Amino acid sequence: MTVEQDCVALDQFPVGMRVLAVDDDQTCLRILESLLHRCQYHVTTTNQAQKALELLRENKNKFDLVISDVDMPDMDGFKLLELVGLEMDLPVIMLSAHSDPKYVMKGVTHGACDYLLKPVRIEELKNIWQHVVRSRFDKNRGSNNGDKKDGSGNEGVANSDQNNGRANRKRKDQYNEDEDEERDDNDDPSSQKKPRVVWTVELHKKFVAAVNQLGFEKAMPKKILDLMNVEKLTRENVASHLQKFRLYLKRISGNQQAIMANSDLHFLQMSNGLDGFHHRPIPAGSGQFHGGAAAAAGMRPFPPNGILGRLNTPSGIGGVRSLSSSPSSGMFLQNPTDLGKFHHVSSLPLNHIDGGNILQGLPMPLEFDQLQTNNNKSIIPGNSMAAFPSFPSTQQSSLPNNNSHLVLQGHPQASPSAFPGHQINKRLEHWSNAVSSSSSTLPPPPAQNSNSIMSHQFDDGSSSYSIPFCDSTIPLAPAMDTNPRAFYRTTDLDSNANVQPGGVYYDSLQMRQSGNYGPTTDALLSSNAKEGFIVGQQKLQSGFMGAEAGSLDDIVNSTMKQEQSQGDLSEGDLGYGGFSSLRTCL
Amino acid sequence: MQRQVALIKKSLFDQGYLDEQFMELEELQDDANPNFVEEVATLYFKDSIRLINSIDQALERGSFDFNRLDNYMHQFKGSSTSIGASKVKTECTMFREYCRVGNAEGCLRIFQQVKKEHATLRKKLEHYFQLARQAGPKETARRSK
Repeated sequence: MTVEQDCVALDQFPVGMRVLAVDDDQTCLRILESLLHRCQYHVTTTNQAQKALELLRENKNKFDLVISDVDMPDMDGFKLLELVGLEMDLPVIMLSAHSDPKYVMKGVTHGACDYLLKPVRIEELKNIWQHVVRSRFDKNRGSNNGDKKDGSGNEGVANSDQNNGRANRKRKDQYNEDEDEERDDNDDPSSQKKPRVVWTVELHKKFVAAVNQLGFEKAMPKKILDLMNVEKLTRENVASHLQKFRLYLKRISGNQQAIMANSDLHFLQMSNGLDGFHHRPIPAGSGQFHGGAAAAAGMRPFPPNGILGRLNTPSGIGGVRSLSSSPSSGMFLQNPTDLGKFHHVSSLPLNHIDGGNILQGLPMPLEFDQLQTNNNKSIIPGNSMAAFPSFPSTQQSSLPNNNSHLVLQGHPQASPSAFPGHQINKRLEHWSNAVSSSSSTLPPPPAQNSNSIMSHQFDDGSSSYSIPFCDSTIPLAPAMDTNPRAFYRTTDLDSNANVQPGGVYYDSLQMRQSGNYGPTTDALLSSNAKEGFIVGQQKLQSGFMGAEAGSLDDIVNSTMKQEQSQGDLSEGDLGYGGFSSLRTCL
Repeated sequence: MQRQVALIKKSLFDQGYLDEQFMELEELQDDANPNFVEEVATLYFKDSIRLINSIDQALERGSFDFNRLDNYMHQFKGSSTSIGASKVKTECTMFREYCRVGNAEGCLRIFQQVKKEHATLRKKLEHYFQLARQAGPKETARRSK
């Protein structure tokens, strides 16, 4: 509407409001017209939907409101409703003799601003002008918020999952505390499309060095950032990474062995994948996490107890979940189809957190956040986690018993869109590696041993880096801890090749040799994963590592359990959001 | 004359041929729309006859497509409701019910009722309008039950 029109209309509004009435029933149309006239509106009628569209298209500013019948021969009223909403963005009121709530619901979901039952009474029509006012008001408000809204909206939308965006935000809210920064980060970045930070091994090494220098307890993101002296790294990045790291440590604290070695790797892996999670405790997800694996994965160095413990707890999982609201849930979940890719994703048994979200909880700290927001797998290692589709809750079973293998299947390459999971996979692998290594006997880190999964990876922690989580190669083995690799998620995730057990969680203690997870362990992972979890790939968009998280938790937990090391598993406060979920899994 | 008109109208209501909706229509009748009610009634009968014919044909075909029949009847019922044709509406509802359960015989039977009520109403209204026109529009609008 032009300004003048607006003014003019508003002067007398609602008098003179221009209504287009559409109804194939002549009787009803005539009555409606008369009623509308009685309300002093300006009425145009047509008994054909097509004609109505033409009229509307001819001049978008010609009408303020459309009233349309539902059952029309030439076009379904709901269809017209949609088109009008899309093309002209006008308020549309549906009219029908059907009082079935189903229709009303349909009207609502198609965007109708009201639904009236025939026969229409004049009283009802007297108030329809409110919809015009409301619609204009909302538009103004919307445009004011503009970017912000768009940003957040984009976040969701970009991920093609509004839920994600919302969930992300919501999650973030839930986990706020430490995560404030992250949250903001997540929220903002998504809208601003900040590139995610990939925590490479080297970067993580610096990080760890800085943390050690400052003292773990005293390490503050700002100081760490200063010490690290890395360009383009923001405090928020560090903060979120730190959180994940803490969780990881807690988680692995239970599993000393694997943890130590792998922690770095695992952590990285996890974090990369899980980035999103950071807050969330890894949803232990179906518990597939092998406790060990999880532990190994991330937490080795530190008593995983805390973390692990948390992982398993459903709350953890739930937490994770939040990360990736369903869409993302993918974290750990792997789609069966993607399994191959994921393998790592391990079937974290995340306790069923919510299917997709299992991993969410995972501390897959790394970029999980990013994952979520961007759903871009490429960048965020974490995404891989996200990629994990929700773990099938079924996985749970796998964990439970001693070796619950958490197989985080992260889809390593997870469909790009589906999830950034690749990374997760990797991470998972790492996790599994980590876990396995830690858990059981920590089989020789690099792939070989025990967990077949691990075998691969760990070998050298390089590349795909066995980050427990996603990285397929994380050699869970004790070697892990030395490498920061664990922590960093190599974006390798995709490469399933490493099959890092990342996806698979090894039983916590024993890294399940399950197949070797070696490169292409897809099969392996699958096998393991089967148990654990199959990370469904759900849209990982949300990058949820949740799934991974779950598995990690499981892994960690299981590891812990087995090792009995600390009983902390359950609770641990996962420093890293993601990790905690792992714990809960356990 | 007007009294006569009023009486007729009253009886229509009393006998349940018309309901409040008809009154609403009358409310809409004013100087700008002096014959509004009659116009609407005319439209209604035009439309409804068309629908009745469609239903008749569908029933004659013998292939009881209940969905289709129901759709027709839905429209018919909608119009009837809008005009306040109470008895017709009732029969329509029954017809739809028979459609719902797939009772073909019931449908046929009820449809005869529908047609009968419809025809009766039409006659009565035509008579009514005729008188009303003679009596003068304003008065008729006010004299409702």
